[in-house]
Amino acid sequence: MTRAPYLVPALLRFPGSSARQDSWGRLLKITAGGAELSTAARLAKGEVLLAQFELGGEKLLIRARVHHAGDDDDGQRLAELVWVDMVERRRLARVLLEVLAKS
Amino acid sequence: MAAIGLLAKEAADRELLGLMLGELGHRAEGAGRLEEALEFARERGTKAFLLVDGGGADAESLTRELIRAFPLLPIVVAMKVRDASRAVALMRVGAAEVVAPPWTPEDLKASVSKGLRFQGTAISVASAAPLSRSPIWYALAVGLFLAAGLGVASLKRVDANRAAAAARVDRWELPVRHPAGLAFDGKSLWLVEWFTQSFYALSPNDTSVQVVRHLTAETPVAAAFTAEAMWTVSADGTVIRRMRDDKMTPLARYAKAAPNCAGLAFDGLYLWTLDARAKVLRKHLVDRELSVIATYKWRGSKPAGLVFDGRSLWTLDAADRRLVRYALDRPEEPVDGIPLSEYAEGDFIPTGVSWDGVRFWTVGEARDGRSPARLVRHKEEAR
Repeated sequence: MTRAPYLVPALLRFPGSSARQDSWGRLLKITAGGAELSTAARLAKGEVLLAQFELGGEKLLIRARVHHAGDDDDGQRLAELVWVDMVERRRLARVLLEVLAKS
Repeated sequence: MAAIGLLAKEAADRELLGLMLGELGHRAEGAGRLEEALEFARERGTKAFLLVDGGGADAESLTRELIRAFPLLPIVVAMKVRDASRAVALMRVGAAEVVAPPWTPEDLKASVSKGLRFQGTAISVASAAPLSRSPIWYALAVGLFLAAGLGVASLKRVDANRAAAAARVDRWELPVRHPAGLAFDGKSLWLVEWFTQSFYALSPNDTSVQVVRHLTAETPVAAAFTAEAMWTVSADGTVIRRMRDDKMTPLARYAKAAPNCAGLAFDGLYLWTLDARAKVLRKHLVDRELSVIATYKWRGSKPAGLVFDGRSLWTLDAADRRLVRYALDRPEEPVDGIPLSEYAEGDFIPTGVSWDGVRFWTVGEARDGRSPARLVRHKEEAR
């Protein structure tokens, strides 16, 4: 697995009904199917959010569902996200291919 | 214990954060200005920086300056005002972590600890395994393993039968005479018939006609399906996007977007058309105008069909009786081809091609124009 020289930051937005403030985190792993996220936000399993981040010069805004969430050794949240927006997911796959082809 | 360079304009912030870092077992080197912080870092071997954003200090520019001087040292930013967009912007310029107010020893500990273990994002196209597995998952995995072991012998027999089936070629006579194209919607094969201005949905099992749709105002020559829509092309080059409903309700018309169309295909992102007269492949953006974003010379003899198999574009050459494969990134150069020996006798001229996910299907018009058209399901090709 290829590793970027930095951790990709992500802005986390929540549906209005959840009445939560925007938050942020770091994507530890990104794949075409989902991502691993480290964040101070108290994410819960099943929660839906919008993850906004940049990869390969492209801005991506992808709807995701929290598949699993737990505390890491530092007391922050380690969440596994699954992308649920098929159109953006396809776009992310293309961006990942481009990024990997250049690395 | 690590020496942490603490850069905060206000003395109260330096004092508070210095105490917290001390509680966490780190040695804080407080500075009110960038020059001081740089000097401390050079003299005392700082392992990381903690900056305060706000209160007259711009952590974004400070982060840039610190990274320029110490590119390998992690930088943690403590915000005085919570702003998620600002936090992401700070991380983009190089901050390893951003702590939201109110600052707590727990948040600071987590962020500094993470900052000191800073490493990059792992990137892969393949999906990662889930972080957690339930006991049910493990039970199912064991069950599946046992079932797989017991099923090996029967699978071998199934494989042998499947190899024989894969090599088989099937042919059917159709109740039409002038086919123009073929498309697959995931369940049925759709035959385009220009003479009767109709679409026929055929069962891929026995090619029985399931649905017939007559178009009174158009002469269809090609069709393709996407997950949401059916795309058709008329003889005058008009491309029509339709709902996948019983009436094939038109949603949008693109006049003369595909002149002399011999084939239509969708690769998941772009729509492709094959111009039989100009002998070019056109790549269209699916926008309001169906804009042509690239045109590629097609180097065959007589273009008759176009299909995307999930990896590559394939064109049907009616004169050479071949399917020719093109890579999506270099569609001007054929990669390889498949000869269609089913048309070798010359009684039928292939006029359309489709792909059902496993095999190619072609449809041919009788050379005399009076006999029924023929549908061929080709053998499975090694891919």
